[in-house]
Amino acid sequence: MAEAAHRPCRGTFTVDEIQERLSYIIEKDRVDPHDLAGQFLEAFAAILKHSNYRQVIDNYARITARCMNCACACQIYKHTRAPEDIPCFRSNLLLEVYRRHFMLRGIVETRILGMHFLTDEKVVEMAETFWHCTACRRCTLECPLGIDHGLVTHLARYILSEIGLAPRALVISVREQLEGKTRNTSAIPFPAIRDSIEFLVEEIRDDKGIEVAFPIDQEDRDYIFFPAVSDYLMEAETLMGIATVFHVCGDGDRWTIGTNYFDGINYGLFYNDWILERCLLEEMKEARRLRAKNVLIGECGHASRSAKVFMPTFGGAEAPPVVHILEYTYRRWKEGRFRLRDDVVTEKVTYHDPCNIGRTGWIVNEPREILRSFCPNYVEMQPHGPHNLCCGGGGGTVSIDEIRPYRTGVTGTKKAEQLAATGAKYVVAPCANCKKQLREVIEDHGLEMEVVGLHDLVYRAIVIE
Amino acid sequence: MLEAMIELARGPLLRLSLLVMLAGLLRAFALQAWEIGWAWRRAGDHFVPWKLVIARNLSWLLPWRYLKSEERFVYNFVSFLFHVAIVLVPLFLAGHVAIWEKELGIGWWTLPPLLADALTVTGILALVGLLAGRYANGGSRRMSRAGDWLLPVLCLLPFVTGFMTSHPAWSPWNARVSYLLHLLTAELLLVVVPFSKLVHVVLFWSSQVSSELGWRFPPGFGHRVRQTLGKEGQGV
Repeated sequence: MAEAAHRPCRGTFTVDEIQERLSYIIEKDRVDPHDLAGQFLEAFAAILKHSNYRQVIDNYARITARCMNCACACQIYKHTRAPEDIPCFRSNLLLEVYRRHFMLRGIVETRILGMHFLTDEKVVEMAETFWHCTACRRCTLECPLGIDHGLVTHLARYILSEIGLAPRALVISVREQLEGKTRNTSAIPFPAIRDSIEFLVEEIRDDKGIEVAFPIDQEDRDYIFFPAVSDYLMEAETLMGIATVFHVCGDGDRWTIGTNYFDGINYGLFYNDWILERCLLEEMKEARRLRAKNVLIGECGHASRSAKVFMPTFGGAEAPPVVHILEYTYRRWKEGRFRLRDDVVTEKVTYHDPCNIGRTGWIVNEPREILRSFCPNYVEMQPHGPHNLCCGGGGGTVSIDEIRPYRTGVTGTKKAEQLAATGAKYVVAPCANCKKQLREVIEDHGLEMEVVGLHDLVYRAIVIE
Repeated sequence: MLEAMIELARGPLLRLSLLVMLAGLLRAFALQAWEIGWAWRRAGDHFVPWKLVIARNLSWLLPWRYLKSEERFVYNFVSFLFHVAIVLVPLFLAGHVAIWEKELGIGWWTLPPLLADALTVTGILALVGLLAGRYANGGSRRMSRAGDWLLPVLCLLPFVTGFMTSHPAWSPWNARVSYLLHLLTAELLLVVVPFSKLVHVVLFWSSQVSSELGWRFPPGFGHRVRQTLGKEGQGV
């Protein structure tokens, strides 16, 4: 197939004008405002050349029917009713660029008729709208033609990020994680992590009267543990629950945390495949250094999908098996290695399926089985499982504090209604991003609920023999 | 004159349009199959979740899947009926099968006349319903392009003219005129299939596989993209 039809072009915008439009999607010194459209086409062409995206984008560009099925599955469109929030409309922004610049028909049109399709304005429009999507992929379940709008959003963000248009908050975090001193997205030095761990150990000792270990840099263990690093500061009870399950199951000496690389967060999934691969290679390198058999991901949706799906494709035969902490805990619970008291969590409890582990049906029933076994007042939210609504902060948007009003007021509104309808006291959300977003949704909508991880409740109810 | 045109339309033009359609569809399918094979070879894990892919494809062939869809179940069910009509009527109408018997010497099961009529009317009503549904829904209307309006009309014409051919009483003109119009509009539709979104008759089957393989990356490709863009060695 033909290469992109380029056009010589002058810059339409100044950096300041772009910043005014895309306040949070730009690092000023990383954007060259000269010919954004040309840069976009160049990056698009390079990505199509080296990736597997061409075959799928080509397919989508030929068959999209604009039938609106996706819109009915989109919680953003259902709230705003704006055409630009229809997943198919958004995807077509990129597909049209492909049609007009990379397909034979479009090239003839562009070259012979001189109709230059892509403009700098359209690039800026894409940068705006592709970050309005939470990449929850709920719409993919409703597309009769099998179009994965999440993939189109992912690709569009990747192209945009290669021309310097990516959310500042994510880029800065990734820079610290991959090239900074602390090697994690929250810029926490490891000594601080160690202090936090000591505090957790003391807490468990006080609460449960047991001496739980958080093994550090131990070699030849079954599991090397990568939680979202923010858990060390914000989700103490989740980590305490996980360590306690290991301890009670007699697996206290079968896991470890690495000191060279310990952050499961992978913002590459949200905006750039080069970053996605680099983060995964770092995890694999650390697993190899400590000769760990399995990569164990904590309560984090995107970190687990990144590792589970993409470690094998980037790592090939060398990729270690990836286990989600819910899978580990479920297996041990099924084996009867630990018991849970059913008179501790008596309030109404509901479960939120994080998109990255629930949408494809990967982990749906396991947490429910555990919760039903010890929460007598367990209720389902509607819809749930693979059809669950996104928390509203998916696709990396939760990490962009500047757009909190958008996240809770637009993308999170349907979620708030869904949560309120359950009447639950606890919302169990085994994902660091969902937890942060749901807390903000609950706060901004004035709901009386508390967001917890699955292991938070397990920690409260686990029987210490 | 009319008979000469009918002869032309029924003979060379029909063969040509069928040839264009088949060649076009074959090309689209072959290119896509080649690209899929290439993607599979490049992917680091050479993995496709076949069960999931097949289950998803099959689920969209079943009518109750459409009834399960949120809000749009009426539109989707009408769309399903249209698909049933447009697959069955061209392939199994007795008059159509007779052409194959004459031209190729092979025939197959044909629709009973009453069922054929019912399906034709279903196809017509469904297409009108789809157009109305597209117009009535604000989002859909705003998003639609010229092709989205023209293609249903293009599908409608052979159904209407075909019905008029077999039911001259319903026709404002001579049945032979209806027949000529039927041939010409059907041939136009056949030619358009590979070059419009109707190409999904062959690409529908591969889009789920394509989607999965789109997520299966070649190891190191991000780095090669950076090299191509002259950004090698630059940081995050």
